[in-house]
Amino acid sequence: MTRSRMIAAICLLVLGLVAAGPVVAQDKPPLIVGAIYVGSVNDYGYNRSMKDGLEAMKKAIPGLKLIEAENVPETAESERVMEGMVQQGAKLIFATSFGHQQFAFNVAKNHPDVVFEHAGGWMQAPNFGNFFGATQAAWYPMGVAAGKMTRSNTLGFVVGVPIGYAIGNVNAFEMGARSVNPKAETRVVVTGGWSDKAKEAAAANALIDQGADVVTMHVDSPATIIQVAEGRSMSSIGFQSVEARELAPKHWITGLGFTWGPFMTETAKSVIAGTFKPAMVREGLGQMMTIAPFGPEVPANVRQLVTASGDRIEKGFNPFTGPVTDNTGAVKIAAGESWGGDKMGNFDWYVEGVIGKAK
Amino acid sequence: MRLDGATLWACASARAKGFAFVTAAALGVFATLLVAAGKDPLEAYIDTLTYVFGNAYGFSELLVRMIPLMLTAVAAALPARIGLINVGAEGQLYMGAWLATAGALALPDLPAFVLLPLLTLLGFVGGGLWALVAGVLRALRLVNETISTLLLNYIAPLIVSYFIFGPWRSPETASYPQSPAFVEAARLPTFFHSRVHFGLVYALASLVLYWLVMTRTRIGLDMRAIGGNPEAAQRLGIPIIRYILTVMFIAGGVAGLAGMAEVTAIQGRLVSELSPGYGFIGFLVSWLAGSSAAGIVTMSFLFALISSVGDILQITQGVPYAVVNILMAVILFIVLGRHSVGSVAR
Amino acid sequence: MNPALIVGVVAGSIMSGTSLLYATLGEVVGERAGIVNLGLEGIMLIGAASGFAATALTGSPYLGIVAAALAGAAANMIFAYLVVGRHANQLATGLSLMFFGIGMSALIGRPFVGVLITGLPRLPVPGFAPGEVGARLLSYDILVYLAAPVSLFTWWLIFRTRWGLGLRTVGESPAAAFAAGLNPQKLQYQALTFAGALGGIAGAHISVALTLTWAEGMTAGRGFIAIALVIFAKWNPLWAIAGALLFGGVEGLQLQLQAAGADVSPFVMNMTPYLLTLLVLIVWGWSRQSVAPAALGRNFVGVE
Repeated sequence: MTRSRMIAAICLLVLGLVAAGPVVAQDKPPLIVGAIYVGSVNDYGYNRSMKDGLEAMKKAIPGLKLIEAENVPETAESERVMEGMVQQGAKLIFATSFGHQQFAFNVAKNHPDVVFEHAGGWMQAPNFGNFFGATQAAWYPMGVAAGKMTRSNTLGFVVGVPIGYAIGNVNAFEMGARSVNPKAETRVVVTGGWSDKAKEAAAANALIDQGADVVTMHVDSPATIIQVAEGRSMSSIGFQSVEARELAPKHWITGLGFTWGPFMTETAKSVIAGTFKPAMVREGLGQMMTIAPFGPEVPANVRQLVTASGDRIEKGFNPFTGPVTDNTGAVKIAAGESWGGDKMGNFDWYVEGVIGKAK
Repeated sequence: MRLDGATLWACASARAKGFAFVTAAALGVFATLLVAAGKDPLEAYIDTLTYVFGNAYGFSELLVRMIPLMLTAVAAALPARIGLINVGAEGQLYMGAWLATAGALALPDLPAFVLLPLLTLLGFVGGGLWALVAGVLRALRLVNETISTLLLNYIAPLIVSYFIFGPWRSPETASYPQSPAFVEAARLPTFFHSRVHFGLVYALASLVLYWLVMTRTRIGLDMRAIGGNPEAAQRLGIPIIRYILTVMFIAGGVAGLAGMAEVTAIQGRLVSELSPGYGFIGFLVSWLAGSSAAGIVTMSFLFALISSVGDILQITQGVPYAVVNILMAVILFIVLGRHSVGSVAR
Repeated sequence: MNPALIVGVVAGSIMSGTSLLYATLGEVVGERAGIVNLGLEGIMLIGAASGFAATALTGSPYLGIVAAALAGAAANMIFAYLVVGRHANQLATGLSLMFFGIGMSALIGRPFVGVLITGLPRLPVPGFAPGEVGARLLSYDILVYLAAPVSLFTWWLIFRTRWGLGLRTVGESPAAAFAAGLNPQKLQYQALTFAGALGGIAGAHISVALTLTWAEGMTAGRGFIAIALVIFAKWNPLWAIAGALLFGGVEGLQLQLQAAGADVSPFVMNMTPYLLTLLVLIVWGWSRQSVAPAALGRNFVGVE
């Protein structure tokens, strides 16, 4: 090797070390937290709610470092990303989408010193916990709002993937609507995925074509559906993030949003203190969930009704108390029976008034 | 032709130098883009190297990525030798996974040493039959295989989705569309504590067999004859139709093995998103490698390395993983822009 | 079968089919010149991201569409240079272009995810009161209204102009074209510029008109459906209209059926464009019809 080349090589080496230097010389943060999102945090929806929660946690614990990765698919790829975060020193990882569960669990097995919190699942291990909002009952006041605001008595619900929990949301919604408007019907369209913008647009249009004048959804991002509804002057009820109301300045009714901040902060603090205990945490209205502000078209009496209904739910009212019939006429919850939180994933039937097949 | 060590080395090192130049140029172009986007490419490249070579997990993940690439590359290379263009490895991968899943779900009680070979066979057959559809259409001179394999690529994942949303929907996670988890006996073993799995053996075996057949057997000679001049080959009495059918079946089978490995080793069940384009990248790998076995290993390594750059960019720089496709594309563009590469049929 | 369902399906297929139609038209022109572009998906993605970004930056969806056309054409020039100028393998280059588009669109679109834009406005045909069937069916954005005229124009361009004749000659036999005094390379570049622009517009329709968002990979394979559609339409822009309605309708149909309460498997429905195309190809192969441009792909079509 000639001398000039050696000098060049040494220069490059020094350059490399210098570049790496600042990374090494940083102050040690109290905790490095990793988070993976299945989509983009700018979705006015699920991912945004997770991001807002994490930002709240970051604010509450000064110096905390947050590593994030968006658009992490719910496949084995996610293991790679989480491993990478562990390599970067993360001691707490939030796997924010349902489909990340198994992969987060796999990584957790290999790193017992790192705590994992998964959203929406059920697995547990000494370093693996689970959390989610108890959404089903919270949809009841949404139904109340929709039932009161609809003029066509047709409500539209776009569902991404027809899992038990989503079907339960639709059911609570319809029951809430029926409680104030016995003629209200809910039409359901399934897009087949949690996030397919083109299909969501087509689904929203299809529902409106079929007469729905209030549209709501259970997909990752309510943005496309709300925009379609607003564009066609139909009302919308949002889900996942209360910020979605920005998308429908005129015809927004209300919505449900997640408030993950307090739980995330608590978890981070417990990890720092070394007192983390895994649990399956399900919290509803008033804790992990909140009702969004009302839109300009909602009259005062409706606001009152919805707020009162929300209070009832907070205080423990369970809409899934028998007798409850499905949309084929069969009694699914007998009189005197009640379906509690543990059964929310078991819905494979729609209540009376819902037009659709749950399979 | 006698290839002695010196000639081989000269050839290989000339190609390597050419390729090093291409890669460096591509890295430079990509770095410019990253800088324009406000990111730090030098840090990203250094981080990637430390991650991949200084870290057992990073290196093992490199191998994990290489496995399906090598398999799908062989799936493209084999038919290329007889002048067929197989861009259908993606679909063949899915069908291999599908048939293997059928077996895993139907026979959970068999012991591993019976079940795993059976699943391997099913994976091979699944992919092979799917490719055979295109092969038959081509042999009957009905449809060109480029287009038929391309179309079949899109039907296969839909078939998989149909099953996991329907008959194979997992009841325990009725919450999520996927097949039930495979039993332990149906899981392809991994090495040490990494995710590097037995599929590596399949990949290497396929490559070795491919190389042996092409360079050391009469079959390989016949195949190259067909690829060079089909009419002359036919006049020499080489049964072209038989070769078309067999080669497509085997090629699809190799891709099917990639699918089988994905579901039995990595995923542990059938899911709707099995492949981030392994079929297409494999085609490009084979094309870049000039359908040579050693080239396939090198190119798979390179593309797996590029994917690692994507990982690092995502985690440390906040750049979407998808952006790394630009780097991959630029390398390909540069190679495509230079003199023609290798001996892939036309 | 209620009338609202029929209206909804037709409306839905027109909306979904529009972007398919533009992409198909572009690809028809390219393939008539003998070039198959497997990277169409990438071009559409670049169009979708650029169109969305430009709309977000300027506030004008019309400028967004123009930007998408320019971006699509520019990206296709990379493809054109490699394939026409350097005689590179069309399939490999096309696939590389696809990956390029996936990555480039992600890079361009990233700062704009979640940004709210004013999309292409829906312009109702006057004369219908809101809420009437006519109002619902005949209220589309300008790209939809332009789709049929653009198809007609493309047909006229290919079959009724000197340029189109030259194009078709190049697609049948570049040597013959050259002997006739044409410049095959120039014609191919021109064709690919046109194709790139249309592909970009096709992508932008999805982001700026249909969904009003940008998300990575949002074209979801439509580029490949368009490639199938070109064959299905026998490389004829007029048949492409019918094909686009049909293929576009498939997606919309299953959602509309659901909204009306019927039960249909979305996956089986989504297979139909590909199965139909395969079937059509088999029929042609059987009847020994040779409708593709003879020099397409230089060995892409034509067994021997």
